[in-house]
Amino acid sequence: MTVEQTRTHTIDMKSILRGRENATESNEIAIKVENLNLFYGQKQALHAINMEIPKKKVTAYIGPSGCGKSTLLRCINRMNDLVDSARIEGEILLDNQNIYDKSVNVAALRRRVGMVFQKPNPFPKSIFENVAYGLRIQGINDKRTLDETVENALRGAALWDEVKDRLNDNALGLSGGQQQRLVIARAIAIEPEVLLLDEPASALDPISTLKIEELINELKVKYTIVIVTHNMQQAARVSDFTAFMYMGDLIEIGNTSQLFTNPKKKQTEDYITGRYG
Amino acid sequence: MIRSWFKSGTPWIWLNAAAVSACLIMIVGVLGLIVVRGIGHFWPAEVTRFSYDEGSGQVKLLLGEIIDTSTTPAAMAKSSGITMAENEETLVQYQIKLGNRDITGSDFRWLQARRVEKQDLPENVMVVERREWGNFYGYLTAVKESGQTIASGDSAWKTAESKIEEALGIYDDISHLEKKEIGAINYKLEQLRLRQRKFELNNQLDDAAKSAIENEKSELKKQYDEIQIRARALYQKIRSAALVAKTDSGKEVEIPLAKVVRIYQPNKMTLLDKIGHYFSKFLEFLADDPREANTEGGIFPAIFGTIMMVLMMSVIVTPFGVIAAVYLREYAKQGFTTRLIRIAVNNLAGVPSVVYGVFGLGFFVYILGGKIDQLFYPESLPAPVFGTPGLMWASITLALLTLPVVIVATEEGLARIPKSIREGSLALGATKIETLWRTVLPMASPAIMTGLILAVARAAGEVAPLMLVGVVKLAPTLPLDGNFPFIHLERKFMHLGFHIYDVGFQSPNVEAARPLVYATALLLVLVIIGLNLTAIIIRNNLREKYRALEG
Amino acid sequence: MDNNNIGHHISEQFNRELEDIRNNVLTMGGLVEEQIELAIKAFTTSDQELAEQVIKQDNQIDNMEMMLDRECTQIMALRQPTAFDLRLLLAVLKIINELERVGDLAEYIAKMAIYISDIEGSKNDPYYEIKHMADLVKDMLHDALDAFARMTIEQIPAITSQDENVDREYASIIRQQITYMMEDPRNITRTLNVLWAVRSLERIGDHACNICEHLVYIIKGEDVRHISQAELEKKLKGEQ
Repeated sequence: MTVEQTRTHTIDMKSILRGRENATESNEIAIKVENLNLFYGQKQALHAINMEIPKKKVTAYIGPSGCGKSTLLRCINRMNDLVDSARIEGEILLDNQNIYDKSVNVAALRRRVGMVFQKPNPFPKSIFENVAYGLRIQGINDKRTLDETVENALRGAALWDEVKDRLNDNALGLSGGQQQRLVIARAIAIEPEVLLLDEPASALDPISTLKIEELINELKVKYTIVIVTHNMQQAARVSDFTAFMYMGDLIEIGNTSQLFTNPKKKQTEDYITGRYG
Repeated sequence: MIRSWFKSGTPWIWLNAAAVSACLIMIVGVLGLIVVRGIGHFWPAEVTRFSYDEGSGQVKLLLGEIIDTSTTPAAMAKSSGITMAENEETLVQYQIKLGNRDITGSDFRWLQARRVEKQDLPENVMVVERREWGNFYGYLTAVKESGQTIASGDSAWKTAESKIEEALGIYDDISHLEKKEIGAINYKLEQLRLRQRKFELNNQLDDAAKSAIENEKSELKKQYDEIQIRARALYQKIRSAALVAKTDSGKEVEIPLAKVVRIYQPNKMTLLDKIGHYFSKFLEFLADDPREANTEGGIFPAIFGTIMMVLMMSVIVTPFGVIAAVYLREYAKQGFTTRLIRIAVNNLAGVPSVVYGVFGLGFFVYILGGKIDQLFYPESLPAPVFGTPGLMWASITLALLTLPVVIVATEEGLARIPKSIREGSLALGATKIETLWRTVLPMASPAIMTGLILAVARAAGEVAPLMLVGVVKLAPTLPLDGNFPFIHLERKFMHLGFHIYDVGFQSPNVEAARPLVYATALLLVLVIIGLNLTAIIIRNNLREKYRALEG
Repeated sequence: MDNNNIGHHISEQFNRELEDIRNNVLTMGGLVEEQIELAIKAFTTSDQELAEQVIKQDNQIDNMEMMLDRECTQIMALRQPTAFDLRLLLAVLKIINELERVGDLAEYIAKMAIYISDIEGSKNDPYYEIKHMADLVKDMLHDALDAFARMTIEQIPAITSQDENVDREYASIIRQQITYMMEDPRNITRTLNVLWAVRSLERIGDHACNICEHLVYIIKGEDVRHISQAELEKKLKGEQ
């Protein structure tokens, strides 16, 4: 080891350390989950989850099927309210307000926390009407506003160039990947703060998947994104932070690159390397 | 061998195919029968002249259309009291329509073929369709006007045709005056009377109101008198002319033109003439009012009544069925109660329709209708307005009858809409009702339409309950006319199904009316097919529009 | 940590592939050790034939390196390994690189053996110091490969601490050789060659240390390169 080597090495370490600081400490917290328990009837599906989701970053949930990652995601915009047997304890704070507070308007909450589902689910309407749906719900019917918002949303979802000539065609005529991007456009048209993606690419071919991933990368500039995926490589590619869940427990959450190269917990290690515990 | 054949499933396929074939054959058979018998009714039949041995050696001339031919074995003929010769094996008989009911007393007669000495088709035979007494068969001899013969012999036919055209024009004028204008005045007078009664009941009948009503009344009276004068003049004109004709037996009769609908000489007609005649008869059948206890003329009021009733029923049953289904499927907590309700709804579909009729009469007509009359129409009591069977009650009763179908179909449709669509809408900040209204219901609309199609099919064919709650054999007015408020839901109406029953089994001359029964049945089938096709086309369009996500 | 981390994948095929790579690395390590052994023997006994054999055998090591390179690349492309598996493959790529360099150094020593075998006086020198130093670095390499085979890091500080002894030995040999040169200028040629060989041995010791560091990365996911022995010991002890 020579003196020279040591010197260059220190310089490198400094810049690396600076980068890491940017990645973690300068983040504001968008969502805070505090001691969240969820029961389906007698069965407990989530066990005392505590976590923070940083603003304008991509946070991914990974874990085996049935580990509760989708359930946790659906708690964030209260989609679990639709399940009769679901009972929730604990708090989820969005901008320091508990979304499970009695005073919270669920519809308004869902306008702030958009969601995209596993299978593309465009409405059987025209492309334009699909994107304008959320606005019309809010009573916005002004033609110019709608035109503008729809275009912006479609551009935001990287779909505008593909559909600008056939906005009045039925959305079901689009390909799977285009449909999923349409659904994302539909979600961002109402300008939510948080975007929840529940396995958004699992029903798509690899190229469409890559397009969606690229889109997620662009969207994180404006939105806090939480994504559930069973494709670990996808989580590794798109996310800044990754949380590993197992049997309703949050096992580990951390910087994505750290979690995928050197996880702290053995369960995480076993899962991401494809071992049986 | 046999075992493996059974195992291969081939016999079951054959069984299925046989069952389907049997159904198809029966359906095609019924439709075929109706179509063949119904369509033939309007074709102008040739009139045959028979020289007929009446048995006592007396030969008579008879004019008539051959309706039917029957062949009876000799033994059977003997047993029914007909003397048969030794060498005869069968007895051939013709059923002929003689017409001239006013002269002979009967329309039809069976002739034994062996006694027919001569039969031919005289060219100058004339058929007169009359407003009363059915057809007249005979020979035209002259045309009279105001007692004076104005044409006779060969020129008589031409004159008769032009005179009849004129007379028909006048007749139309008269019926317009009587039905429309006098009808309107009568309606207004009735309204005035009711208004006056209302004032009386409310103790508001002061002099001003009285004089206003009197003024209006006298105004209407004046109009009425005017129309009466015009009508009387027309009557004078139409009554003045008459046809003079000879029957088969040589008897001369006078037929006033006012009673004539149409004359024609079937044996002289070319094919083109016959086709023209066919269509004019068919048009009359579709567009005119019935005559002679429904056995002649058209069935327009029945078609109109049927369609109107079905449409009204659809308008009533759809919202109720959909709302019930939406509540059951979307809002109600699934459990014992909902299961019970579903079972009840399904069983409701199995209740005999006449029970609905009784319920409709008892509950809707007498209780609800009676209450409505007390509350809103006290001025017309004791004459009921809604407290008597009518279009509205019939529609509501049928809506109740078809409600289960709509509920079940709508529920099925709602259940088939993928959860992801609802979630997609909810995730965009829509409330449950917004999601239902904007997304779920439009997507379920094909299923709702399917339910409606089934409901329409059932309702249009239903007769039994209607007899109790609003259908009559002859309704004086349509439920839709030019008098405010245009739709008169309290009125009684005619219905094709009931019309078939009435003409086929209740009319004084069943035999004469039989072809009409087939024609009416054909029309009823066509109306139902038409209603269904419309609904199916609408449904298919909706289905294309709201094609659900696959899988 | 479980020292049999390679197994237990849901994919048996993956298990076999990783096992295969480990075995190949060990085979390659064995080859390299043998090369050092032979090279030193050729050097100390001035056995020209043996030296030539060593030079010839070096391409076996090169071939193994290329083969392992390919295997690792393939697994990375097809299996997208993560965590331990990813670290294992990355480290193996580096370890085989180290081994290949060690092989080259052995070849270099063999070359030096050929040069000095012609020189008078070489045969008389028993080269005790060189043998001793060679034994030291061979042990280091052997222990490092042994730790790799067992996937344990308990021995690591002990192995890397040997490097100091090697360095001391190296310094003393240099001083000794300089004395030879000063005694008689005719010794210079031979002495320089000896120095080159000793320098190679010292480098082998460094490579052995590097292999240990890579092993720490595999097992702990921590980068322990370019830190002092004391720091290393502290790190390993602190987190165990």
